[in-house]
Amino acid sequence: MCVHIHVYLCLQTHRKWSERTYVKNLLSSHVWGVGPGGFPVCFQATEVCICPVEFNPHFVAPVIPKVEWAVFPEVADNLRLIQVPKGPVEGYEENEEFLRTMHHLLLQVEVMEGTLQCPESGCMFSISYGISNMLLSEEETEN
Amino acid sequence: MCDIEEATNQLLDVNLHENQKSVQVTESDLRSESELLVTIGATVPTGFEQTAADEVREKLGSSCKISRDRGKIYFVISVESLAQVHCLRSVDNLFVVVQEFQDYQFKQTKEEVLKDFEDLAGKLPWSNPLKVWKINASFKKKKAKRKKINQNSSKEKINNGQEVKIDQRNVKKEFTSHALDSHILDYYENPAIKEDVSTLVGDDLASCKDETDESSKEETEPQVLKFRVTCNRAGEKHCFTSNEAARDFGGAVQDYFKWKADMTNFDVEILLNIHDNEVIVGIALTEESLHRRNITHFGPTTLRSTLAYGMLRLCDPLPYDIIVDPMCGTGAIPIEGATEWSDCFHIAGDNNPLAVNRAANNIASLLTKSQIKEGKPSWGLPIDAVQWDICNLPLRTGSVDIIVTDLPFGKRMGSKKRNWNLYPACLREMSRVCTPTTGRAVLLTQDTKCFTKALSGMRHVWRKVDTVWVNVGGLRAAVYVLIRTPQAFVHPSEQDGERGTLW
Repeated sequence: MCVHIHVYLCLQTHRKWSERTYVKNLLSSHVWGVGPGGFPVCFQATEVCICPVEFNPHFVAPVIPKVEWAVFPEVADNLRLIQVPKGPVEGYEENEEFLRTMHHLLLQVEVMEGTLQCPESGCMFSISYGISNMLLSEEETEN
Repeated sequence: MCDIEEATNQLLDVNLHENQKSVQVTESDLRSESELLVTIGATVPTGFEQTAADEVREKLGSSCKISRDRGKIYFVISVESLAQVHCLRSVDNLFVVVQEFQDYQFKQTKEEVLKDFEDLAGKLPWSNPLKVWKINASFKKKKAKRKKINQNSSKEKINNGQEVKIDQRNVKKEFTSHALDSHILDYYENPAIKEDVSTLVGDDLASCKDETDESSKEETEPQVLKFRVTCNRAGEKHCFTSNEAARDFGGAVQDYFKWKADMTNFDVEILLNIHDNEVIVGIALTEESLHRRNITHFGPTTLRSTLAYGMLRLCDPLPYDIIVDPMCGTGAIPIEGATEWSDCFHIAGDNNPLAVNRAANNIASLLTKSQIKEGKPSWGLPIDAVQWDICNLPLRTGSVDIIVTDLPFGKRMGSKKRNWNLYPACLREMSRVCTPTTGRAVLLTQDTKCFTKALSGMRHVWRKVDTVWVNVGGLRAAVYVLIRTPQAFVHPSEQDGERGTLW
């Protein structure tokens, strides 16, 4: 039986071996035998980079509605990021300051090494050289 | 005076401008020098002729004549647009048409036919096509110069560049230490080293005039060109072989131009394409196929970039779409996507760590290239690589707009038997992550029987809207274009009435 939990992964941008936070809630994972519902995933990062990326509001703005705000602050917290917005501000499309903050958090913070953990099942997923390994082990995929 | 000398002299007067508007398509061949129109032929992956024609219309403003299912399109451009032609991404090879015979009358006997070919050589309108060839050759000269520099600096890495590389650490070190070198790391299966033509052509056009001045000095010392003739013949009623035609036609060309014949080290490649009663004589403009342009790290089944581009066009990506290749291999499709549709986000995933590694390497090479071109670490490529299982994707339900992938054929990768389980599982998982109603999938496979069967059980979530038949590495394959139905994905558990109980 498969269920979805929300996994917050950093996605690679312009850097070769790094991952950065992007559409975090885009990713979830199947874990067999775990109850339904969405749960944020603990995110331990042992190596994080802040890498400059040219700001493009047209790229950031459409992403804002897709962010799962319920868990975004917690993940950002795990990465020890400061000044994390709790939600989209009114009229965010024109609010450059807000967009720049989100741009920084989503596109410039990069996780090189770290782990993800599903809090319910305890399954661990590693991030190495910026690539996250989301394969489930055999027992996790068994019915 | 020989045609080529005449052409060379005339060429020096040709004025090349950088920003060109495409010229209206007409049938007349020769106007004033600066408005020279030529017919260009392009080979494209069979089945994607229409897609390529769309790209030509979009980027060059020319309409195309399509040689359907034969992988060729023809269009007319002005000579100044030649550089842009090299930027087409759906095209494998380019040539300039010398003359086209739509209904060539072949004589009855082989001797007569071959004699006709010999006579033909002297009657063709060579001068304009040769001018085009000359301009084109000057683009390549710059490319060759850069290649030499690259080759020298990357020699030390050639030993490390084998595909079997498993240790990611080595690769990482490699990149960090050579990040600023202007080479492209080329670890191809065959030793030919390629560069992305579009990155060079822009610079070349500006300095083309200098180049021709330079080369005109070389020309005053009589320099004999080397050439060869390649003949492709298809049709059942011909009484001659392509070798015979190439040989005799080539002999006549040699007599006419006083060039030297050289099969391997040629300057000019003359094409003689015969399909039933259609004969086209052309001069090649590309010597290496453009189709491997993005990939520096190959895997066992790397897809042609031109095919990847064609598949992506079929998806009709809209800005900010999330495009996923869940079995990306070396990442040919997402990389092509990130280059051409940079306002979409591309995710490349594979279960095989070697594949993900290669995909990440290819992405990195592309980044290095674009950084060098731009001269600064500017806007990054919207692409990411993840290791995952296609049957258990770490993606939320309905979060993906487009899925585009090359399914394992079961020949070089996987097995036919495995496909019977894999294909339905893939389609199911893909239907889950794909957005209902607006989502779409473009899937390539050679195992069409298995795919059709798998799809027949998924009609409630996938609707097939198109099938494009293609040729991949000699195998007949199909590209299926599917639309995700409005039906929301339902868990098997919920279907049975159970509600999330633990096992």
